[in-house]
Amino acid sequence: MGLLYGLIAVGLALIFGLMDVTNFAHGEFLMVAMYLSFFLFAFFAIDPLLSAPLVAAALFIFGAVVYLLLVRFAMRAKANAGMVQIFTTFGLAIVMRGLAQYFFTPDYRSIPQSWLGGKTISVGGIFLPEPQLVGALVSIAAFAGLYFFIHRTDFGRAIEATREDPGAVALVGIDKNRVFAFGWGLGAALVGLAGAIMAVFFYIYPDVGASFALIAYVTVALGGFGSVFGAFAGGIIVGLVEAVTALVLPPSLKSVGIYSVYLLVVFIRPRGLFGSM
Amino acid sequence: MDKDFAARRRRDLIIAAALATIAALTPLFVKDVVVQNILILTLMYAGLSQSWNILSGYCGQISLGHALYFGLGAYTTELLFTKFGVLPWFGMLAGGVVSALIAMGLGYPFFRLRGHYFVIATIVIAEIGLLLFHNWEWAGAAMGITIPIRGDSWLKFQFLRTKLPYFYFALALCCLAWFVTWWLENSKWGFWWRAVKDNPEAAESLGVDVFNSKMGAAAVSAFLVAVGGSFYAQFVSYIDPESVMGFQFSLLMALPAVLGGIGTLWGPVLGAAILIPLTELTRFKFGGSGRGVDLIVYGTLIVLISLALPRGLLSLFSRPKKTGAAR
Amino acid sequence: MSALLETRGVWQRFGGLVANSDVSISVGRGEIVGLIGPNGAGKSTLFNLIAGVLPPTQGSIWFDGEDVTRMPAAMRCRRGIGRTFQVVKSFETMTVIDNVIVGALVRTTVMREARRKAHEVLEFTGLAARADVLASDLVPAEKRRLEVARALATEPKLLLLDEVLTGLTPTEAQTGVALVRKVRDAGITVLMVEHVMEIVMPLVDRAIVLDLGKVLVEGKPADVVRDPKVIKAYLGDRHAVGA
Repeated sequence: MGLLYGLIAVGLALIFGLMDVTNFAHGEFLMVAMYLSFFLFAFFAIDPLLSAPLVAAALFIFGAVVYLLLVRFAMRAKANAGMVQIFTTFGLAIVMRGLAQYFFTPDYRSIPQSWLGGKTISVGGIFLPEPQLVGALVSIAAFAGLYFFIHRTDFGRAIEATREDPGAVALVGIDKNRVFAFGWGLGAALVGLAGAIMAVFFYIYPDVGASFALIAYVTVALGGFGSVFGAFAGGIIVGLVEAVTALVLPPSLKSVGIYSVYLLVVFIRPRGLFGSM
Repeated sequence: MDKDFAARRRRDLIIAAALATIAALTPLFVKDVVVQNILILTLMYAGLSQSWNILSGYCGQISLGHALYFGLGAYTTELLFTKFGVLPWFGMLAGGVVSALIAMGLGYPFFRLRGHYFVIATIVIAEIGLLLFHNWEWAGAAMGITIPIRGDSWLKFQFLRTKLPYFYFALALCCLAWFVTWWLENSKWGFWWRAVKDNPEAAESLGVDVFNSKMGAAAVSAFLVAVGGSFYAQFVSYIDPESVMGFQFSLLMALPAVLGGIGTLWGPVLGAAILIPLTELTRFKFGGSGRGVDLIVYGTLIVLISLALPRGLLSLFSRPKKTGAAR
Repeated sequence: MSALLETRGVWQRFGGLVANSDVSISVGRGEIVGLIGPNGAGKSTLFNLIAGVLPPTQGSIWFDGEDVTRMPAAMRCRRGIGRTFQVVKSFETMTVIDNVIVGALVRTTVMREARRKAHEVLEFTGLAARADVLASDLVPAEKRRLEVARALATEPKLLLLDEVLTGLTPTEAQTGVALVRKVRDAGITVLMVEHVMEIVMPLVDRAIVLDLGKVLVEGKPADVVRDPKVIKAYLGDRHAVGA
């Protein structure tokens, strides 16, 4: 579970780190991905595991479009820049939730039978639910891919460079908007991947994003905004804390543990565990 | 120049008095209960947003967790009333004090945080409060508290047959929050808050006690919001964690100020006057279908206004002043 | 009469880096003292130690006969230390007059009095015509002057100026120099950090040259500029040669 949180969070961290913008519609991106996955299954009988790359690709386009149509303009605001970004993405989140209710109805849906759903696998005598396990594997793979992408390819370096100094990058002939749009796309694609996997073992409903979004922000903040590795580590911590709290406290309080850990961490290190000073 | 300044402050006061008088007279003409309801909510949110604006607008500490104080106000009042028979009027005061104290207690660790970390911490703490109340049996847990009905009475601030007393209380709350803001705006605190928002380090170098400035703003803000929470509890006469501490309250306190003009005297009132009727009307018109049209309209509006008018709607009016034409 | 400001054996280390080592300087009442030195000499660090941004690793700082080594910046301001910032830090969303009122509120809580004082200071610094303009709409030279005005409104005994004359056009710099003289004539002691010697030397009564975190030379400006150690320190610093 923690790895999936990490996967959701890393998309957010990427967007944040790249341009210092917090995407408050991140949870809704996740919701869209889960619905996509659901409908691909319902209409075309494509198993979520197979459709995951498709969903990720669709979300990539969606993320880039959101950037080009909305966020690009929000970033130009001269006054109250922070507020404008927060409320633009927040407004987007509300619209997306409304649209989901309108088109998909507020009903809870789930994917009844998939290759992985409900099955468990025994590893050394411990039974693990298969979907979660696959989710963890996919997450690790995605992280490895992302790490490789950012540090080893030209375009990844362009992203890093744009983040350090957008002005200088423009001089070298890199189009800032293209890089940012790509960053948003990539961030959305990652959350799309997470959504596709989670569609297998979570109910799907228009507000589903909200419950994960806050955890994603906490995860990102734990690891330090803008740190991809931090988001990964933050995800694991959140997953562990959740598991531990579930043992000690009633299930309805399981998030309290995560939130408390967040508060504790930022009080001690006001910039997150792996945040640069 | 000084004369201009004094004149502007006086003008604000006169406009406010005029608006309050007009508002006070509306129930004479508006008898429709649905409309009255909307008016009450509008006034309440105007007051709440004005209070939120003190901490987040003037002092620059963006809080998206003010639902906590709203809920604390509501719960303090109702727990005192149902468990100990304390009259809501005292409960209201108690709720305000409890919230202000908690806000200051939280301020100790919170005000070291900056930017997004602070915002997320405020969301998280409100969420923790919500979960705790959900699991607190004595306070009714998820079932909440139903306020026992004892008939119309000013003493118990409870009215079944008419909404007018609620209306006037909401108006009073709104006026109080406005007046407190007006008064603080031209005081040491007001100046300190704006200095802290713009540049804490420079403020420090000019002798501003940055930390205590934030604490003061948090206390005033939380107190007023809690009074609003108490009022709301009496108004709806049933509370549960979601209905008084949910995230939507944090949002509905912030939005009017942001839309109207954050950190301004008139922003929250203007924002609430537009936003709350609109919210209620869309919900009334489309909400029944359960198909989210209200959300679509509402969200679109937020996006458009924040993109088109980053300084809020108020900036539309203040432009001419810059050129020196005193209106 | 004792010195207004004194640092006694002040050290500041950042990790392994020593920014100030054993710095002991003193500033007498009514003086204009220039604190100069090449890039990385530790001027800004010393400046921040005196202003109270951070406490020194070792040593003590005395102001007006009182140990202020660990006193927070806001308290020092109340004791009578005013400062400007190298990178201007105006309150951008506030008007010029409001910026200055924030400073004036250290001495009075009566708004009418603070406002009067602020107008007086704006008159003094030549910003009166810009009183109702937003600080963000000022040109850079005006922003610097606003910083000085804000600090003056706190009625300091000692004014710390951090490179207020750097980066100005010659005319603007002349106005700035005149303002500093005017401030001293009003009975306020001035300690100014400058990187470029030419600007400050004609203005200051005494110059203290820092190099590599230590006091290199101290004395009358005319003697200091001729000191071979100073010339060497500055020639070693390529940035200063052209200036």
